[in-house]
Amino acid sequence: MNYPVWDVAFGAGLLIALVAGLHVFVSHFAVGGGLFLVLTERKARRDQDAALLNWLKLHTKFFVLLTVVFGVVSGVGIWFTISLISPTATSNLIHIFVWGWAIEWVTFFIEITAALLYLYGWDKLDPKLHEWFGWIYFIAAFASLVVISGIITFMLTPGTWIDSHKFWIGFFNPTYLPSVLFRSAICVALAGIYALITASVQKDPDLKARIVRWGARWTVPSLAVLPLLGWWYIREVPAELWASARGPMPTGTHFALLACILLAVTFVLALLAFIRPGRLHLVFSLLVALVALGAMDSFEYVREAVRKPYVIDNYLYANSIYAAPIPGDGGFTVDKINELGVLQAATWINDRELTKDNQVTVGHEIFRVECQSCHTPYEYRGIHQYIVLRQWDPDKVRAMLGSLSVMHNGVMPPFVGTEAERNALAAYLSSLQSVTASAAGPADGKTVFEQNCSMCHQVRPDDHLFANMPSDPQAAADALKDLTSLFPLMPDIKLSDAERQALVQWVNTQRHAPKTSTVAQGGN
Amino acid sequence: MINPNMVPILDPNPLPAPYWVFKLLLVVTFFLHILAMNFVLGGAVMALAARWRSKSNPYNNRVFLDVAKKVPSLLAATITIGIAPLLFVQVLYGQYFYTSSIILAWPWFLVLVFLIAAYYGFYFVSYKGERRPDVAGRVMLLSVILVLIIGFIYSNNLMLSQVPSRWAAKYFAGTAGWNLNLSEPTLIPRYLHFMTTAVAVGGIMLVLIALAKWKQDSEYARYIFQFGGKAFMYSTMAQFVIGIWFLASLPRDLRMLFSGDNMLATVLLTFGVIGAIGSIFLMSEALRKENIRLAAYVVSGITALVILSMSVMRDILRDAYLKPYFHPQQFAVKTQWSVFPLFLVLFIGGVVLWFVMLKRYGLFTTTKATDQ
Repeated sequence: MNYPVWDVAFGAGLLIALVAGLHVFVSHFAVGGGLFLVLTERKARRDQDAALLNWLKLHTKFFVLLTVVFGVVSGVGIWFTISLISPTATSNLIHIFVWGWAIEWVTFFIEITAALLYLYGWDKLDPKLHEWFGWIYFIAAFASLVVISGIITFMLTPGTWIDSHKFWIGFFNPTYLPSVLFRSAICVALAGIYALITASVQKDPDLKARIVRWGARWTVPSLAVLPLLGWWYIREVPAELWASARGPMPTGTHFALLACILLAVTFVLALLAFIRPGRLHLVFSLLVALVALGAMDSFEYVREAVRKPYVIDNYLYANSIYAAPIPGDGGFTVDKINELGVLQAATWINDRELTKDNQVTVGHEIFRVECQSCHTPYEYRGIHQYIVLRQWDPDKVRAMLGSLSVMHNGVMPPFVGTEAERNALAAYLSSLQSVTASAAGPADGKTVFEQNCSMCHQVRPDDHLFANMPSDPQAAADALKDLTSLFPLMPDIKLSDAERQALVQWVNTQRHAPKTSTVAQGGN
Repeated sequence: MINPNMVPILDPNPLPAPYWVFKLLLVVTFFLHILAMNFVLGGAVMALAARWRSKSNPYNNRVFLDVAKKVPSLLAATITIGIAPLLFVQVLYGQYFYTSSIILAWPWFLVLVFLIAAYYGFYFVSYKGERRPDVAGRVMLLSVILVLIIGFIYSNNLMLSQVPSRWAAKYFAGTAGWNLNLSEPTLIPRYLHFMTTAVAVGGIMLVLIALAKWKQDSEYARYIFQFGGKAFMYSTMAQFVIGIWFLASLPRDLRMLFSGDNMLATVLLTFGVIGAIGSIFLMSEALRKENIRLAAYVVSGITALVILSMSVMRDILRDAYLKPYFHPQQFAVKTQWSVFPLFLVLFIGGVVLWFVMLKRYGLFTTTKATDQ
């Protein structure tokens, strides 16, 4: 709103996921791999294992070519990408943590220099000095993780910074310490996993076995402690954040489960490599890496998912609107925009005059500034698919827009703007997929539920709908005539008599069913 | 409430140190970044030119390899140093920089892809150049082209960031971010001005390599001295045409900054012009007399100072472009005394450690030994 919105046809979120998802897998290796290099060098020299030392030289080259080139550029790439997609959040993070970023730059500078000197120094320096460079590299790389974690975790759990606005309070936020330890364990695990890759192409079976066993000794124990550290991490995440990741939009919990499964698979694969070290094939080592990549990105995705609807929790919504008024917010708050209208409040609007004829085009502009940081019309989190799934006619779309903040356990910011603007947005969204209101509506109660209620309600005995609906069918059907009188944030949708009766009947059968079934969710 | 000039407002967080601290850090780190960038691009262009002419003189392939081996580390330095001005430009000019980046989003994003490809290309040449010079030459060409494209995208973006009046039309014509800033009259001369400086610095790089080999490999050192020295001279001469073009393409009021309206800008430009002319003569003298020290110490030193003065001029020009919108007083300042000193200590410690590392590695001793 304050900034223009980059219209990424396939979804801005996917682009960040692509850049960040690959970066973290290399950057964590850059930290753990540093420790691995220096300790392996020490071990090889102590054991006078020339073959291991020779392999380590090659492994260093692989390490530097991957981390210094791809790791570094993709790291800058995250910065590029977030500033293109979330400039307001980026600007806030820059100003809040300038000195944190600057300190990280110092450690980064030392890190890269040490990496290159370590690589080029293999045949040039005496072993002690060479190891010294290795230690400097690792300490600088780890320091970089220690600093950057403060900023990343701040986004999820800013804690009391919201009131104090103090650097160290934001930095040492509730999830900081578990995150640093959790990520450190990932770093060590990845050091071993990457070693498997370069070990797998070694011709000498004895050497290969030695490296694989050594690498697995890094990976297996680190993976084993990850669940414990993950549990601690999760414990520090406020319950209300997790609540939004459960229920009708359980993206966070799905990915948490996926992360656990893939972690377990990685563990088993690493263990297999350890048991049969001499037989490790390149394909197998790449498989281990791929599964580990899946596990890691699932974890990162959980962090992103539970943070919704915010980009900085309790401070800034994903669509760059401040959660509460603060001095200097420029009026980009829910209340202010509701008062002025989004067409008047937003800077980057082309057509501010809403007429009868331009509903769809102006609605498109509103969609761009309010929704497109997460949604696309037809692709990633596409509204088109959603409307097809729910079969919402234009009136329903309009009604539902008023309840965004309670849908899916509150993963979305509220719609902001005037009634007229809401109509325009609804007109645009409805233009993506035409659904005409059917007088009869679907007769099937389950379908009525899925299309109209399942965004907020779950088939559970403690859910409001199932717990509090009057047991008398007629009274229940009457109560559903005016939803906003039941709860003001409910969408003002008008179900037909047949729909209400079908819904009540179906809800009653579910209430009396011996075991509740889960209704299929959709519209992720 | 509608913001008529489309410039986004600042976020609510105050600057965590006085304005001038960030300005100083921005200009100084930008200067170091651009210097390193000049070595990368200039060095790569020199290597390419040498490879191109490898049949005319057997030394040329050696020049190609000698220079190409240094390019990846110089690129690492460019990127690593470049993080700092990227940070500080966002601290002070985020409103402008983010907006123009979004308008040019795809080209800006593609910088990353091109950079990774160019970087791996440089490493390929560095590692395989000796065994496969033909392929390496072609890869080098590709990498140089990619770096030139990256430079062009940077020029597009940073120019656009200074002209908010052009934003709206450009953005609303294509919100998908496939824009460039080609209608900007200063774009081409400005871009050429930067790129040509890189070629001159590439020449300086050869002179420095010649200095390191002056005693131990005299004939070859003299050859690359001539090679680099001439490249420096010709490219610096070309700057007079390009520089005048650039100056002429500026809007009149901005052009006048350098002809008396802004004393510092005028002095810096005068210094730059005199420095460039002087360095051409000194280089010519050094080449004629085979005086490597004159070229390596005096001409390089002058060139570095000229680039520093250009960096300051660039900053003055940016603020002049943004004058209707940007005022340092607009920043609220609340110095973070609990962190800022920590940064300073770590920064100084980091610089010291950096030099100690390079010294222990033997980077300084090699040059000294051969020089004496």
